[in-house]
Amino acid sequence: MTEATDLAQRAGDRDPRVGLRAVAALRRLLEQLEAVQVRSARHQGWSWQEIAAELGVSRQAVHKKYGRQ
Amino acid sequence: MFERFTQDARAVVVGAVAHAERAGAERVEETHVLLALLDREGSRGSFALAVLGLPPGGRDGVVRDLGEARRRGGLSRADADALSGLGIDLAEIVARIEEEHGEGVLADPGRGGVTGRKTGRRLFDRGARDLLTESLRITLGRRDRRIGDEHLLLALTARPGVPAEVLADHGLTHESLSRVLYGPGTATDAGTGEAKAG
Repeated sequence: MTEATDLAQRAGDRDPRVGLRAVAALRRLLEQLEAVQVRSARHQGWSWQEIAAELGVSRQAVHKKYGRQ
Repeated sequence: MFERFTQDARAVVVGAVAHAERAGAERVEETHVLLALLDREGSRGSFALAVLGLPPGGRDGVVRDLGEARRRGGLSRADADALSGLGIDLAEIVARIEEEHGEGVLADPGRGGVTGRKTGRRLFDRGARDLLTESLRITLGRRDRRIGDEHLLLALTARPGVPAEVLADHGLTHESLSRVLYGPGTATDAGTGEAKAG
């Protein structure tokens, strides 16, 4: 059996819950990491515009999420 | 729903808000509810904790474990396992982030005022809101008239997540709590949540 079909077969056998849970966990982790990195950038004097550009989101979005004191 | 809460359950809700405030958390989370439950003495919930080996003054281990989970960004072991299934090593990520940004940084990413809200009204996050709903469901299922702090405890152990995992590590499961509170062989369908959590 080739590696690809082997993989496909295993993917088919999988409980969707496992994959969904992994995505949810990843999202939670992502949120935490983003908060840490944004805070760090702000402490180093980065503007909201610069942070937004790196994150690939609008300045408004990042400011709304993290701009509150 | 709040008017159905006993004095003890209200104290837990108020205490949870205070814990969230102290932690500088944006929202009140389920772990804050558990911390507030651990503060109680003389309530039905506190009684159940004591019977299962966690008397007032003997609950530091749970608080410590909750702190450890916070350090992993509040992700549960089930989360860590799920990530590991994707080839992501959560412990490694936490170690690297802490190396660069300081120990415990994931526990408190808002420290320093970027996201941490120090004052003002705090809302319950979705998990904490679902927890309150679950406690109502359990209360109704038991045909109890009021929602007590023991129902909040039962609800915590019926839901997947860090609080249930930490409590289980200390010998408190939905089943053992049901047994202490309602006698043997009285687990209800509320316990099915635990099956999903496992």
